Amino acid sequence: MKRSGPLSPDRLLGLGFVAALLVTWEAASRLGWLAPFSFPAPSRLGSTLWELTIDGFPQGIRIGTHVGITLARIAQGYALAVALAVPLGLVIGWLPVLDRLALPLVTFGRSVATLSLLPLAIAWFGVGELAKVLLIAYGCFWVLLTNVIAGVKYIDPVLIRAARTLETGPAGIFVRVALPAALPRAFAGLRVALGVGFMVIVGVEMVGTIQGLGALILEARTYFRSDVSLVGMAVIGLFGFAAAAALERLERRLLPWHTGLESVRR
Amino acid sequence: MRTAARRRDVMLSLVGAVGVVALWEAVARSGVVSPAIFPPPTTALAGSLQRIPAVELAEHVLASLGRIAWGFGLGAGLGILLGIALGWYRWLAALGQPVIELIRPIPPLAWIPMAIVWFGLGEPSKVFVIFLGAFFPVFTSAHKGMTGIDPLLLRAAQTMGLGGPRLLFQVAIPAAMPDLATGIRVGWGLSFAVVIAAELIAADRGMGFMIMRAREFGDVGVIIFGILLIGATNLVTDSAIGEAIRRRVGRWHAV
Repeated sequence: MKRSGPLSPDRLLGLGFVAALLVTWEAASRLGWLAPFSFPAPSRLGSTLWELTIDGFPQGIRIGTHVGITLARIAQGYALAVALAVPLGLVIGWLPVLDRLALPLVTFGRSVATLSLLPLAIAWFGVGELAKVLLIAYGCFWVLLTNVIAGVKYIDPVLIRAARTLETGPAGIFVRVALPAALPRAFAGLRVALGVGFMVIVGVEMVGTIQGLGALILEARTYFRSDVSLVGMAVIGLFGFAAAAALERLERRLLPWHTGLESVRR
Repeated sequence: MRTAARRRDVMLSLVGAVGVVALWEAVARSGVVSPAIFPPPTTALAGSLQRIPAVELAEHVLASLGRIAWGFGLGAGLGILLGIALGWYRWLAALGQPVIELIRPIPPLAWIPMAIVWFGLGEPSKVFVIFLGAFFPVFTSAHKGMTGIDPLLLRAAQTMGLGGPRLLFQVAIPAAMPDLATGIRVGWGLSFAVVIAAELIAADRGMGFMIMRAREFGDVGVIIFGILLIGATNLVTDSAIGEAIRRRVGRWHAV
């Protein structure tokens, strides 16, 4: 019996349970068992989403704008991290001396909680866009770097020896053996870094902005609009999920031979 | 030969660490940037220790660690429990998995306003957000560990007459341990990130509060000191957990 198809019994049971929970939630709200401020009913959240789409909140900023700004900030920080971490990681992973020299800095750098840099980033760069993008880049950078280094460092030595036997030069080995062999790990890093980006963005949008999903979620509190917070949470969750799914598709497309490798720690 | 190589590696790491700090000190002392904005490490350290009494400092560290202990303890505990239960009983997974998958993509920090609505501004709301940060990675890896057990292992145990709870506790859970251990360390790291953020928003003590207050005073030295303190605390506790896991789960498996 098929157990995991789109309409398998397991799947139907799960979806049914989710639907039952939503119906119970709605009914409990209508009957007055749940306080409307603490647990706004699903139907209320639906109309809130409509309100955010048409009228916008706060000050008429529509949900589409919030989504666009948040995604743009994540994309900039993420791109910056990739641009720095991939070449650096390749070099550090390839040269054992550099790896040893960089080890303390890399270990400490990734131990620093990204959001603890928020006060410093504000003191240095103000509360504008730069501080936000740099913090996202910082968070993504270290997981990416660690994974790219590990990818190059732990290449099966047999592959390299085989390439030498075939009289491939050092440059050829790097480009044609090391690089492809490091890709699965690098992708594992890309996946984790994406999660980090979506996590950090909520924190950095706490200050100096009323645009973006993180700002929307937190700003709603000052207006006592818990329904707006909940809708914002659902929307950022949805986009986080979609981004992760898109990256997974890309990975399967680019690396059909090797997918789903775990990220490393060191 | 091996010890010589090891000694060389340690020396290189030492050189790297000292080099970074020395470079920072040199650049900061060169006067290119105002020391009020970019203080040398020695000044930041000495100034901070002078301004913040040791007792207060210990209070901040312990406040953050206490919150993590609660949130992580509850989150990891429930994550292990549910991860194992959903990994073992298929009907439970069919029921619970979609609900968890729906909630999981929401970043833990996005829960802060609702946590305040539900639990008020005090400790429970912070513990709740840390709980979420710890729960999901631990649950996911526990579940993955349970569903990824080599079926041959289970069938072999069944052939030897093991079944029911004994099969679960004596074969399945130990087999899932390495995955579980990974999840615990990821969860700890995330708990750390979350507590600092929560303390930046609303707290009256803790390391996150300490640096946010320093920002209001424009005291970059204390901010930098706080960042390094947070990093060091994270590093030390994470290594301790890693070491404890290595001793329990076994040295043969890299965690």
